[in-house]
Amino acid sequence: MPKCTINGKEIEVKEGTSIIQAMTENGQRIAHYCWHPGLSVAGVCRLCMVEIEGNPRVQIACNTMVTEGMKINNTSEKVKEAVKWGLDFHLINHPLDCPICDQAGECGLQDQYMEYGIYDSEMAERKVKKHKVVSLGDRIVLDSERCILCSRCVRFTDEVTGTKELGIFNRGDRSEIGTFEDRPLNNKYSINTVDICPVGALTSKDFRFKQRVWYLKDGDTICTGCSTGCNTKVYFNREGIFRIKPRFNKEVNGYWMCDEGRDLYKVFNRENRQIKALKKLGHSFEEMLPGAAAKDIFKNLSTSLQGASLVVTGQLSNEDLQKAFSFFTGALNSKQIYHWKNNPESWSDFDGLLLRGDKNPNTKGVEKCFEEFQIQTRFEDLEAALEQSQISTLVVMVPENIFAYPDLSAKLKHFGKAKNLILLSSSLVSLEDVRGGAHCWVVPMKTTIEKSGSFINHNGLTQFFKKVTTLVSEALTVDQALTLMGGGEVTVEMPHSSSETRFLVDYNHRSDQVKAEAYKKNEFSFKRGTL
Amino acid sequence: MSVVQKTGPSSKWYLPGIVVGLGITIRHLFQNLMNPKKMPTINYPEEKYEYGPRFKGNHVLTVKKDGSLRCTACMLCATNCPAQCITIVASEHNDPTVEKFPINYEIDMLRCVFCGFCEEACPVDAIRMGPEWQTPGLNGSQFNYDIERLAYRSNLKGGVLSIVDDDERHKSGI
Repeated sequence: MPKCTINGKEIEVKEGTSIIQAMTENGQRIAHYCWHPGLSVAGVCRLCMVEIEGNPRVQIACNTMVTEGMKINNTSEKVKEAVKWGLDFHLINHPLDCPICDQAGECGLQDQYMEYGIYDSEMAERKVKKHKVVSLGDRIVLDSERCILCSRCVRFTDEVTGTKELGIFNRGDRSEIGTFEDRPLNNKYSINTVDICPVGALTSKDFRFKQRVWYLKDGDTICTGCSTGCNTKVYFNREGIFRIKPRFNKEVNGYWMCDEGRDLYKVFNRENRQIKALKKLGHSFEEMLPGAAAKDIFKNLSTSLQGASLVVTGQLSNEDLQKAFSFFTGALNSKQIYHWKNNPESWSDFDGLLLRGDKNPNTKGVEKCFEEFQIQTRFEDLEAALEQSQISTLVVMVPENIFAYPDLSAKLKHFGKAKNLILLSSSLVSLEDVRGGAHCWVVPMKTTIEKSGSFINHNGLTQFFKKVTTLVSEALTVDQALTLMGGGEVTVEMPHSSSETRFLVDYNHRSDQVKAEAYKKNEFSFKRGTL
Repeated sequence: MSVVQKTGPSSKWYLPGIVVGLGITIRHLFQNLMNPKKMPTINYPEEKYEYGPRFKGNHVLTVKKDGSLRCTACMLCATNCPAQCITIVASEHNDPTVEKFPINYEIDMLRCVFCGFCEEACPVDAIRMGPEWQTPGLNGSQFNYDIERLAYRSNLKGGVLSIVDDDERHKSGI
């Protein structure tokens, strides 16, 4: 365990740690472009310069290992000068594209320029023109002029995915990133290259020009795309969710996530969500508020809800499952709970990196719940019973990730053979799918990013997530919906409100607030009308 | 703020004050009658006052030589706007040299405080504050100016040319 001193602070690191690793792990700032903790060392950007005592020249921190007693400094004038001129070389051919560049706001060049640069360029020559707006594949657009040739994306396709689509072509200032003929960048992890690009050379077609990044807030959550359970960050503002990026978790996903998971923001946004509740008695549809619909179910079906059947999927969190199972086995006295599995034959598929065949985040959690409540049912039995019209009331927790259930609409039509069908759905249910049955209610539900809970991934690891934002405020959680369906009441607690002042919205109240009597009397008045 | 309230016998004699005031009014009346050209009043709306060139009136979106919008939809004006009255929807342009352009650009004139921060923020001289300020409307929606009104309204005669030209910039090697 060598000890070293970085900027006057003594730290102890593991054998074989590079200086840049030691610095980032200990919260020190250092300029870098080509180094990425998940990739190999290239040492091409020459920006992570540090001064090592006893060494006459500055050295790169990414390819120098820490040795015993090393004294490292990256705040001296010598280092700043080196970084400044390194940056000038990077910016020689860099276009002034910031206004139309999607990376502006989270760009490495902008950051380093504000910290080390701020000069007028010393170059008298013209900038080299290269290809702009090149489509590299289905999801990626390349702008060669903006590229600083850090080779992070090339190393990503070489080392992480192993598909080797990208390469650096030509020499000198004409070098460019590019793909080989007939081999576009279409692997399942391609948008990771956009994430790791320190400049705006690679941009995602899906997110391109949708929003400026400084309008977006971010929140941590867990991907619901498959049973891997990647840790993710969602970027949102009041108009909705715009993109999803991976969050580092060494045990689950490392630094990466797949493109399929990034598309999932579409199922959370309002245009694909059930916003109004639907009620169908006979052949007439009626729109309602979600809470009113849940109460209406209790009013119409209070007795026939007893012994109702429930269909759950692996898209629900453990907390929701617990609530649903205890409600059905307790209040409704029913053990007819069925696990709806989509394509279980491909559940064991794994592509070697992250993607798994089981497209549900919480299959393990569902299995655990079935064990805990000692329920042994087969989904095929339910389908057979539906065929013979033996089911009177059926409650279906419709999966929120509809991409993973391609046969959703056919299944919903099949469920419509029950006498009373209740769909608890966050995704938009088309009227065609529920037209067949006798009575039907569709209640809008909240999605994963609008509630807190936990998932158990394929490995048995329980991961907790917190509510990020609210997109459909009137939608119900499973807890609220089942409480209302069981005849209970849902109260919304105001923060800081006590029982006496329930009707006064006083959550702006401060304990040290000045009372009205304590204000000084206004003695500042004129006498008017006297001569 | 302190208020001086006079409470002497002198404050009760208001008639001399009225006489002095009327005197000033009558003096101006005769001055204007004798020399009507120096009269500061103008006959609005037949006559209009010429404001200085730096007057900040209604916005103008400038155009390129081919008549298309100069705006690149970088949203710096919308970011800088203290009243948050600018709404821009950006889109991909067919021409790769243009790349990004606004398909919708709206300014809510009733929200605008005419501070001029948008033209200060603009990197390509795409938005300017023009000389107009007399803009009536019958309802609120008529104060929501769109591209058609901001760039191509009839009194601009086909649009105001921007000083930033892409061709010249490319030729000079920027």
